[in-house]
Amino acid sequence: MRSRDGNYSFSLSVCTLILFYSTLLSADEYLISYRYTVKDATLYSETLHVSKAMKKCSGIPQKELVLDTNEQDDLKKIISDNAERFIAYIHNLAMHVKHNETTINSKNTFTTILTLQTTCFKVDFNENFARIAPLK
Amino acid sequence: MKYSIFLSLLLSTSALMAVETIRDGNTQVMSEPTQKVIVDSPSVACPETEQLLTEEKNIRISVTGQGVAPMNTTSPAQAYALAKRAAIADAYRMIAEKVKGVRVEGQDSIQNMMVKRSSISTSVNAMVRNANVVETTFKEGLCEVEMEITLSHSQFAR
Repeated sequence: MRSRDGNYSFSLSVCTLILFYSTLLSADEYLISYRYTVKDATLYSETLHVSKAMKKCSGIPQKELVLDTNEQDDLKKIISDNAERFIAYIHNLAMHVKHNETTINSKNTFTTILTLQTTCFKVDFNENFARIAPLK
Repeated sequence: MKYSIFLSLLLSTSALMAVETIRDGNTQVMSEPTQKVIVDSPSVACPETEQLLTEEKNIRISVTGQGVAPMNTTSPAQAYALAKRAAIADAYRMIAEKVKGVRVEGQDSIQNMMVKRSSISTSVNAMVRNANVVETTFKEGLCEVEMEITLSHSQFAR
């Protein structure tokens, strides 16, 4: 019969491998919100909020987006570097539209606000890219 | 005598047949314009052009939004990016207007029989999902974005 000490190194290596891959392929959850205002057909302001979720989100990952990380681990910087792609991607998810138009004595002004309401995203960081998927 | 009775019967029969033929002719003449009126009537033509959302048929809405670049841009690329963003917002607004509708409020204030202040305010409030940019054009500071959205019956029947 084999002794338990004989399997010690094997079990240690398995545990190390699991720990290594779990840290390497860790999935973080982030809360992202985006909003921009257009006033009289000109972009007026734009805000993007990214923060790490402080409690676990529920839901199933939906359509994912792969972004180049350039060896960074700050999601806000990654999103800023790939702003055009990320904005085109979130437009497809769901945008809240609020539009107000006023015409006083035939003079017209309008304001349109597009908002991505705070959504929980699952983010998988790898060496060269990050996978972002909204949880729903 | 016999011949005269037979002749009168023959005449009356032919006269009756002639009246019926004229009546038929009148009906035909009358019926033609009636049919034309029905075909040309806008009340009948409208439902053919108006799209209805059914289980079998989806509706595709296509809009073109416009946006301009701000004056203080540092490069043409920045101007393009900002104008495109504004054009997308405009296109979203148009989609929301078509799908959900517009709330309109108007107020006129009149003093001494003259309009002193006339104001019209409109507002749109909606959530738009799965809208796609089809084409983008940028010419002389004006960006135009063509967007489309497909509405299916299942989206509303949830």
